[in-house]
Amino acid sequence: MFRIFNIKKRYFLIIAATLVHFFVHAQEIPDRPEKLKFSPLVYDPPNPVDYRVELSSGAIVYIYPDRERPLIDLSFNIRGGSYLDPDGKEGLAGMTGYLMARGGIPSKLADELDEELEFLAARLSSNFGGLNGSVSLNLLSKDVDRGFEILKAVLAAPSFQQDKLDLRKSQVVQQLKKRNDDSSSIESRERNFLAYGDNFWFNRYLTDVSIESIRREDLLEFHHKWVHPKNFIISVSGDFDRDEMLNRLNRVLDSWPHKGQLAPQVPQQQKYGKPGVYIVDKDVNQGRVSIIMPGIRWDHPDYYAIQIMNDILGGGGFTSRITNRVRSDEGLAYSARSSFPGGAFYPIVFRAGFQSKSRTVLYAASIVLEEIDKIIKEPVNKEEILTAKKSFIDTFPNNFSSSSQIVSQFASDEMIGRFSKEKDYWGKYRDRIEAVDIEAVQLVAKKHLNLDKAIVLIVGQKQSIIDGHPDHPVNLKRLTSGSVQDLPIRNPLSMKPEK
Amino acid sequence: MNNHLFYLIHRFICLLCLFACTGPVYGQQVDVKERTLSNGMKLLMLERHHSPTIAGGWVVRVGSVNERPGITGIAHLFEHMMFKGTPAIGTKDAKRDAEIINEQEIVRDAMRLEESKMRLALRRGEINDLEKAENKTPRYRELEVKFNELIKNQREILVKNEFDRIYTTAGASGMNAFTSNDMTGYFITVPANKLEMWTWMESERLLRPVFREFYAERDVVFEERRMRTESTPLGKFQESLEALFWESHPYGWPVIGWPSDIPSISKAQADEFYSLYYAPQNITLVLVGDFKVEEAEGLCEKYFGRIPRGKKRIPEVVTSEVAQKVEKRMNAEAEANPQVDILWHSPAAGHPDARALKVLAAVLSGRSGRLHKSLVLDKELATTAFAQQMSRKYAGMFNVGGESKDTKTPGDVENGIYDEISRLKSELVSDRELQKVKNNFAAIAVRRTSSNFHMLLQLIQYEGVDSWKAINTEIPNILEVEAEDIQRVARKYLIKENRTVATYTRKAGVKAPDDPSLAGLSADQQAVVRRISKQIKLEKNKESLEQQLKTMEEQLGQAGEKQEGLMKIIMIKIAERLAELSK
Repeated sequence: MFRIFNIKKRYFLIIAATLVHFFVHAQEIPDRPEKLKFSPLVYDPPNPVDYRVELSSGAIVYIYPDRERPLIDLSFNIRGGSYLDPDGKEGLAGMTGYLMARGGIPSKLADELDEELEFLAARLSSNFGGLNGSVSLNLLSKDVDRGFEILKAVLAAPSFQQDKLDLRKSQVVQQLKKRNDDSSSIESRERNFLAYGDNFWFNRYLTDVSIESIRREDLLEFHHKWVHPKNFIISVSGDFDRDEMLNRLNRVLDSWPHKGQLAPQVPQQQKYGKPGVYIVDKDVNQGRVSIIMPGIRWDHPDYYAIQIMNDILGGGGFTSRITNRVRSDEGLAYSARSSFPGGAFYPIVFRAGFQSKSRTVLYAASIVLEEIDKIIKEPVNKEEILTAKKSFIDTFPNNFSSSSQIVSQFASDEMIGRFSKEKDYWGKYRDRIEAVDIEAVQLVAKKHLNLDKAIVLIVGQKQSIIDGHPDHPVNLKRLTSGSVQDLPIRNPLSMKPEK
Repeated sequence: MNNHLFYLIHRFICLLCLFACTGPVYGQQVDVKERTLSNGMKLLMLERHHSPTIAGGWVVRVGSVNERPGITGIAHLFEHMMFKGTPAIGTKDAKRDAEIINEQEIVRDAMRLEESKMRLALRRGEINDLEKAENKTPRYRELEVKFNELIKNQREILVKNEFDRIYTTAGASGMNAFTSNDMTGYFITVPANKLEMWTWMESERLLRPVFREFYAERDVVFEERRMRTESTPLGKFQESLEALFWESHPYGWPVIGWPSDIPSISKAQADEFYSLYYAPQNITLVLVGDFKVEEAEGLCEKYFGRIPRGKKRIPEVVTSEVAQKVEKRMNAEAEANPQVDILWHSPAAGHPDARALKVLAAVLSGRSGRLHKSLVLDKELATTAFAQQMSRKYAGMFNVGGESKDTKTPGDVENGIYDEISRLKSELVSDRELQKVKNNFAAIAVRRTSSNFHMLLQLIQYEGVDSWKAINTEIPNILEVEAEDIQRVARKYLIKENRTVATYTRKAGVKAPDDPSLAGLSADQQAVVRRISKQIKLEKNKESLEQQLKTMEEQLGQAGEKQEGLMKIIMIKIAERLAELSK
């Protein structure tokens, strides 16, 4: 029987192939891709209101049942983070976050819990970053009952075992030692100091002393205070019934054992550094450069025009000017680009950055500065703006390509206040991008890119960098209007400048 | 015609095999439709209608393993050159552009003669560094001026990165590519209505690529080498480790290429490499997403079917690894935490023993795995530890390593690892442990289908090594592995003569530690030990030293692990001084 089937199938395919061959060669292949015709693509983004539920406990949940795979993907996003670390106990939020899932629960020791979770092939993790934390669980839907028991204990009553705290402390201190090993870590750290000032919460680094001072009671206090339904934004997608899942979530959240507080506003007091050039001497044969300027928040009216402007300048990869000149024309760097994100809670700086061999660092930096100057002074061309706008508008569906991506995108909007400010943010998004024109781009370039405020940070072999390339001499002192200053290496454990 | 028959029958047999083994698998089968175009190019299609996008890509069965000394890095350089356009894309005047490229090659040829002289001067010690601009010969500099003039001419008619611009303007995103030891893969995501755009663009660049801006791109690749290998804390040492590990196999040179080779690869060599390896019969197209199989098949035949079948047979990689006879070791002083990295030779992908080693690695890994339990929790030797089986097309590597704890050395971690491996050889893995790791393998098959792009990458990877079909057979095969298999492969492969070991100790400041016992200590701790040992060396009173030693021995039990290591080193110093005084 199989044999007959086989022959039939073969005939069918051969005939089909012949037909296809005949048919396709009837139409000519055009010499340019622009001559191809495409059917229009209509796409409406999902509406957050359809997925959003406010639970009786005050927690917000974005929920999307999706039966494609027997899996559940769940994340409790928690307002609060290291900006709430008490002075002297930097690292407390991070430690609390890590140990919620890794420090045991009342019914099980941490090692037993790990063993059980791995037997179920479930993934449970918890963390606190700078501004928020999360407890995430991804498991096979058949294990949902047990998964929720564990989840409830991890969220409401983590044990924070002393032995796990000690282990984690030693692991963190081990991590601290790596702080100067990679020049990219030095670069991003010093960039943050220059961009936001030594006293911004972001720049309160953990030290061996602050880690050492953290006690189990501190974790419990931090947990009781901030890990509370009032601070939860939940996203859940996968193989479940919607009402049943909401009931499960209510059972986890109702009668919460701790009183808890609403996480306070994120501190805003930033101090942008003195414009000029800053150098950290580090013995690596490729220098790393960051050029920064003051930035904006996502809700700034210029946000959309800035996105298009930055895309043309250095954000759009191979279609952007900085990449074209530094990489494609001159072969000076593997990666050369700029970013101008709208910060979620506070303004985030503009940054252009690249890495180049020591002796072409200054030459490449001068090209980047030249491009910034050019986009301020001259209007962009029609083709550039078209490409940039298309790259946002036509890739728009990529923001919502799976159920888990949809609910986590909406949860993150809720977190940064986008939902409460603008329920129809995504509905309007493409029109707002479309409305940006050449004038608007030049206007925001003039307004938001200010070379007098530029800070150029260089990490690499100082002498070779200053020596420069004989064919492309650039005077370090004339790179910006500001002064040139050495930055010391910091002690990796204490973060205090050395020498 | 014969070929066509072969493929049909081949596919039929595989279907039968799949039906036979679908029983115990939890994961869904990945329902790929496979076709072969008239020129021998393979096409894989997977319909998924979750979002209006299509992830499209193709894989060429060529990687650094197909290179030879002198042109190492060429497969990867190629990956870069494939974005430079075609006669129609990338220039306003294709004829003039081609003429300039030819003129550039004539100049470059003369420059290569000079480069040859510079290499001679380097061998004779007359210059110290080929990269230095000051070491170029006067003739070379003259030619360079001429070459730059041609670049300038070409730039006037160049349409910069037009290939990217067309795609971006059409709403495509995430265009990229990768090169590995075994394969080169290209991919992008396009809106669902732009499938024909994809077939146009990809078939054009395969049919008539133009390698313009070749020499600037070579410099970009060298910067990539500096970024990934030379300026990272461990990159250069990992490169040495692999070169030490593979003796005869072409896996021994890095994918990015040796620093001497990258700047000397010529466009002629690139052309030759292209025409040999980028032939339809060596390429598989992959589409995942929102399209109809019939339509996609027709478009692919229409566009890709134009590319003429390669005339030469693709050369096979015949050089295999010689059997290792002796353990190999290296110690590096790096700007990194002290750690150990151990590699054993293991079988290629597709070999049943590679599967058993995968399960073995899973038994060792994870938070409830044996390495974490033993090295991190019980013996407190390491802060982290890992194990993995890496199966490549022609051979594999089994890899275990870890970072040592503050007071311990990489050697301690290494011994801890060997203890666990001995245990695997002497005792069978328990049923529960085996079930646990199998549950996780089974879950991989469930988690696999998360996004079009992710699925595309997996199909490219499987197809580049052997066949996409492994995506459906690998997990069922792994679930067949028995405890006895694990014991057998541990005994067969994880032996001393088959391993290469790298230990890393922290490079202290600018100077390396002059005292070997200080290796593994932080700069701060080294300073403490140095200060105290200086005092010990000056001490002449034997009794006082003995008294100190005794007190420290008593305190050792109560000391935290941080002090314990330091104390032990100091105690050794005292004992050495005592021995000196007793002479």
